[in-house]
Amino acid sequence: MPQDTVLADLTRVLADVPGVDPADVTPEARLGHDLGIDSLTLVEVVVAAEDRFGLLIADDDWSRFVTIGDVIAYLERAGMIAPA
Amino acid sequence: MPEQQPALADLSGTGLRVAIIGAGMGGLSLALALRERGMAARVFEQASELTEIGAAIALSANSIREFARLGLADDLARMSTIPTELIYRHWRDGSRIAAHPVRNDDWYVQRFGAPYFGIHRADVQKILSAALGAEHLHLGCRLVNIIEQADSVVLEFANGRVEHADLVVGADGVRSTVRRWVTGADDAIYSGTSAFRGIVPAENLPSLPDPQAIQFWMGPDAHLLHYAIGPDGEAVNFFAVVATPRIWMDEGSVVGVADEVPVASFRGWHPAVTEMIKAASSPIRWGLFTVRPLLRWYRGRVVILGDAAHGMLPHHGQGANTTIEDAFALAALLAEAKPDDLEPAFDRFQKMRRARTRKIQRSSWVTSSLLHLPDGPAVRARDEKVTRVPEDFAWIHQYDVQQALRAAGAAPAAAAARA
Repeated sequence: MPQDTVLADLTRVLADVPGVDPADVTPEARLGHDLGIDSLTLVEVVVAAEDRFGLLIADDDWSRFVTIGDVIAYLERAGMIAPA
Repeated sequence: MPEQQPALADLSGTGLRVAIIGAGMGGLSLALALRERGMAARVFEQASELTEIGAAIALSANSIREFARLGLADDLARMSTIPTELIYRHWRDGSRIAAHPVRNDDWYVQRFGAPYFGIHRADVQKILSAALGAEHLHLGCRLVNIIEQADSVVLEFANGRVEHADLVVGADGVRSTVRRWVTGADDAIYSGTSAFRGIVPAENLPSLPDPQAIQFWMGPDAHLLHYAIGPDGEAVNFFAVVATPRIWMDEGSVVGVADEVPVASFRGWHPAVTEMIKAASSPIRWGLFTVRPLLRWYRGRVVILGDAAHGMLPHHGQGANTTIEDAFALAALLAEAKPDDLEPAFDRFQKMRRARTRKIQRSSWVTSSLLHLPDGPAVRARDEKVTRVPEDFAWIHQYDVQQALRAAGAAPAAAAARA
């Protein structure tokens, strides 16, 4: 799965989060500062992403995510995706 | 969804053999919730009787509203104490850092539409099992093996009993046997914290301010929580948590300790705290375990719920309450399931429940560290935070399973018939 497909999938996950504008979802976007996702909402995002990508994202891992790029890098490291 | 109505009738009429493992909060609630949906179940419990000495729980609005619909709220209320206030205190000088009304001003019921009860765990089990009927409860049955067959599941118990079921629900707690079969691993994680607990007559606690409140005493690497229980608040249940041992060596989750260990762990704390721990004189340490987040809560015809699926630290008082939510959600979704194709119902169940329980699980974990801060600069921010608890955590208490079912496209329960 190339990186832009991951981004598109992640954007679809985030589109269901109230207050997130899909147009703002870029690799550079910060989850908190730019997308307005607080720590509890992030749990919902993580669970939705787990369902979509079919892998578990450990609490110790997702609590370190700062940007959308961090999430994409994580998914690549998890071996789910061939780097673009 | 009107087209799903016939399925409900179909399932209740199929004689689907439902086996529930565990007669704790989850198992008993599920059996009652299934009955509300027209389905029968048998509950298998390893203990030979439903008593657990020295254990109490707090039931909050999110679970009480389900029991209220079944007509059980008055029975529970009779055996419960509603705390006057929720108070946070300094570990050494006992000063009130924050206080929020609960029973006072009828605040909690006005805000969340149902009460908050402190109650003996065994009393809840008595009330639920009486409502269920003893004939549905099979005590002294410790599950040792699950064998999947083409069209059913065989359950083998330590007492030699063998049962066949079409659907098995593991409601067997944080150290769940059923989960081990579902995931193939032991997913329990020791939290690095353990607890001493006890139930003490309120009259034996002369140093305790506000004995009828629910109170957190917060200190370095430890905290103590207590609340009154029983019909007249005559007993105080406490839970004293320490950030030791770092590693849990024992096979079980409970170990005996020397008599002086519990109180020595709180040396230098306010006399109300040490007096309470001394009065309990039960030198037992409970390891606090959680369950690693799981991607799947089911396998074949077997599904897990409650602590078995998402065991959490008890610092939001939500282990039992989220388990009860699970039970009512699962019953509703099973009522819409096809008897020969259960996985879609299991999948709907975990989709509906995974994010909520993961949020509370995570928040309880973060709360654990906040309750254990050493005196210093971080304490000021924490003390500020606890002044906002009722609003910050309203989302936990205002959750309504039946509304969530509706949002998930499932049929909510019919409203309670008025007497």
